[in-house]
Amino acid sequence: MAYEITLVTTMAISILFALSLNFITGFCGQISLGHAAFMGVGAYTSAIMMKADIPFLLTIPAAAILAGILGLLVGFASLRVRHDFLAITTMGVVFLFVGIVRQQEFLGGEIGISGIRGSSFGRLGFMAICLGLAGAFAAFSLLIKRSWMGYVFDSIADNEDVSRILGIDVSKYKLIAFVVGTSAAGIAGALYAQHFRFVGPDSFGFVESITVLAMVIVGGIGSVWGVAVAAAFLSVMPLLFQFVNDFKILAYGALLFAMMRWAPDGLAGIVARSMKKLRGRS
Amino acid sequence: MLYLELLFQGIVQGSIYALIALGLTLVYGLLRILHVAHAALFTLGGYLGVIITNATGSLALATVISMVVVGFVGMAVYKLAYEPLLSKPPFIALIASIALFIASEEIFRIIFGPYGLSYTTPPLQGYFVLFDGFFLKHGEALVIVLSVVMLAALGWFSTKTRLGVSWRATVTDPDMASAFGINTQNVRYMNFFIGSALAAAAGVLVALLNNLVEPSMGSVASYKALAIIVLGGLGSIRGTLIAAMAIGIIESFGTIYIGHLLDRDALAFAFLIVVLMLRPQGLLGAK
Amino acid sequence: MTLRTTLLAATIGLGSMVSPGFAENIKIGFNVPLTGFAAADGKSALGGAELAVEQINGAGGINGDMLELIVYDDQASPKESVPIAQKLIERDDVVAGVSGSYSGATRAAAGIFQEAGIPYISAFAIHPDITRAGDYVFRTSFVGEVQGRAGAKLVGESLGLKKAVIVTLQNDFGKSLASGFKEVAGDYGIQVIGEYEYSIKDRQFGPIVSKIRADNPDVIYATGYFFTAGPLVNQLRAAGITTTVIGQEGYDSQNYINIAGAAAEGTIITTSLDRDSSATETQDFIAAFEKRSGHKSDMVAASAHTAIKVLAAALQSSGAMGGEALRDAISATDLTASTGRITFNQLGEVQKSVQVQIVKDGEWRHHSVIDDTALLAPPTE
Repeated sequence: MAYEITLVTTMAISILFALSLNFITGFCGQISLGHAAFMGVGAYTSAIMMKADIPFLLTIPAAAILAGILGLLVGFASLRVRHDFLAITTMGVVFLFVGIVRQQEFLGGEIGISGIRGSSFGRLGFMAICLGLAGAFAAFSLLIKRSWMGYVFDSIADNEDVSRILGIDVSKYKLIAFVVGTSAAGIAGALYAQHFRFVGPDSFGFVESITVLAMVIVGGIGSVWGVAVAAAFLSVMPLLFQFVNDFKILAYGALLFAMMRWAPDGLAGIVARSMKKLRGRS
Repeated sequence: MLYLELLFQGIVQGSIYALIALGLTLVYGLLRILHVAHAALFTLGGYLGVIITNATGSLALATVISMVVVGFVGMAVYKLAYEPLLSKPPFIALIASIALFIASEEIFRIIFGPYGLSYTTPPLQGYFVLFDGFFLKHGEALVIVLSVVMLAALGWFSTKTRLGVSWRATVTDPDMASAFGINTQNVRYMNFFIGSALAAAAGVLVALLNNLVEPSMGSVASYKALAIIVLGGLGSIRGTLIAAMAIGIIESFGTIYIGHLLDRDALAFAFLIVVLMLRPQGLLGAK
Repeated sequence: MTLRTTLLAATIGLGSMVSPGFAENIKIGFNVPLTGFAAADGKSALGGAELAVEQINGAGGINGDMLELIVYDDQASPKESVPIAQKLIERDDVVAGVSGSYSGATRAAAGIFQEAGIPYISAFAIHPDITRAGDYVFRTSFVGEVQGRAGAKLVGESLGLKKAVIVTLQNDFGKSLASGFKEVAGDYGIQVIGEYEYSIKDRQFGPIVSKIRADNPDVIYATGYFFTAGPLVNQLRAAGITTTVIGQEGYDSQNYINIAGAAAEGTIITTSLDRDSSATETQDFIAAFEKRSGHKSDMVAASAHTAIKVLAAALQSSGAMGGEALRDAISATDLTASTGRITFNQLGEVQKSVQVQIVKDGEWRHHSVIDDTALLAPPTE
């Protein structure tokens, strides 16, 4: 069972992480190429606290708060730059994060932090916590999406300048999106540290940031269930694809490209279109 | 003397960045796409350079063939990958481009093996002593000379020839250009051909300096070149050249004096973030 | 449509993988990077491990039972190696695991093997915490600090060079080597006059080369792998700097010599494979590996080969029993393998002498051996 538990836990953490980016990119239209930095802040926070014998559950809010503070800073920066300039600025954030972390002795430097104590819940209990948190954030996302705030986000994603003319405080809502999304990424980071019991600077770099953005876009940007399904599948895809060993990453690249080329609206778009077809037939 | 040498090393690195980033700027100016897969064309250029040099013994021939072949591959990338995505939101093309880049790194590894390739008899090994204590490696001299020649040729082409002027007009304002009867489709092909050929030249030069081409050779170029064109102001050719030199020089001095605080990538991006906070439109971008 | 066919293919693939194979085979798990940035080392390691299995099976296996290597690609990532370790233990029912991967992936998997009470041997990952995962985890290669200390002795005592510049690769490998070197440099009268760092992605060292010329050291202690050290040494020599370069096991590959070309001549490294060894185990390995793979052997291949041989010998003495019996058998190992004589201390670290190799006429050759028990003592806790 331990193998299945590991797979499900991996999926749950990825779902939470991808949904946290979906909140910023999908809901509010702010593209981020550096989201792994926030997961990293959460992971390192939790790892250090676990080393100091603090109960695991207490490390989760701490991870969320620290990641959220960094998120707020980046959010302020995002108010200055737009579109592709913002995308590359967020990319800069993740390179800066990794560059700083790898030189800090108290964060384990290049060696990272290993031998992280297991929580008192056991692997099964921990899986339940991960599933619970991912589910809770998914529900929260759906709630927000259907609320007044969801419409405001839509409007900003659609056209910032028009929203401003309509009297929407664009800056405020952008900051909210950044703080909520990055705090959730921090929680995913705390779960990551507990799951793999090892954190190092290379675990939260540019490649991870691209991977999570790919999950959001393959799922269908903005669609909560689409992103969740894509995150669940893509996170265990390397394990499912072990049989093609040599062509595994190639297959991932090809799948991603094919998706963009023929179904750029993601899983959510594919399903919506097939539903329409089915309804049209009946 | 050391400062002068470090400055010079920065210019060498900056020239290579410039050759790579120019193609990206051209693509961005015309299509508003962040063309990450450009770095794969840089890698392909390096591989072709080494393979053809080893087969024929002529670096010059290898450079020319590599540039032409990669130029055509660049056109094919546009036709097959980007053209169908032009009407979609820009991040779709970005992700498609990243996917293409990931896949191509693996294709290099599967075809040419994970160990990379080297020149069997590396050309241009050696150095000049320009004046007391200032050393100039032959390979680095070639980088500077070739970059200057290519940029000058590009400048001449875009201002003094009919084709070049229509190209420049299209990059500046596509709608206006097509209203004047310029075939924008052909201009796009030409754009990709020129940009990709420059990246190939950079690939051959880097292969020469390192005596190594490997599947992951484009990984740094894939994001560093993006940073450079954004720093330059997205779409501004002059801005790109200045940004490339600035990043090259900062990295050169930074490696020696603050390398133990921030690595090369982090340094470049720290500079980028500071500049963008002061000038959100980049160094020479239009507001 | 595309998605459905991929899913279908995935299901078929999984089905064929879990189907029972030859019931009497003894299964050994092997996690190794075959795709991604570490694929070059992964390919060599896999070659070395497969060679060892072929040799053991060719000689009658373990009391007549054949060894079977279950190989998974971990991309050198802890994210992949943890579920792979679970899968090896649960689905494939391996009797033991061997890591042919880097530190992060190995460290993360070691915890899983320890928890399950299944022995795990790290072939060449250098992270000091790997063996600290517990008493089921062993390492058949040096930790970084030990090799760094050997480098300092080589420089200060054997070569008598005193003014050193250190060029450090920014990862766990480079940093731990450099810290071992600096730790004892003073004892051998070495003065470190400069230290510069570079990232694993760097191939252009122009600024560092210029600074080294200005520093004018007697020796350059440069940590790195063949794909970083090759360009570095090539660029040093192309700029007219003839200072001796001291490397480590990361250089230990024919690819280093291919990349650095003529500039490689005279490079001296600390490693665990002696090309001119008179030991039959080593000579047999070098000949057999070259015959099998068609290219020259390297440290990574020899290390993976050694790890499998250690495991096979332990299986032999435990009567193919796993678990505690196998762990005790591995702890009691005293075996001469391709990388030298292997015995373990109480932490599961190996204590052996360091081989010093030099590039002569485009090949790695014997230079000397460093055999200083106190200096080379691995960590014990």
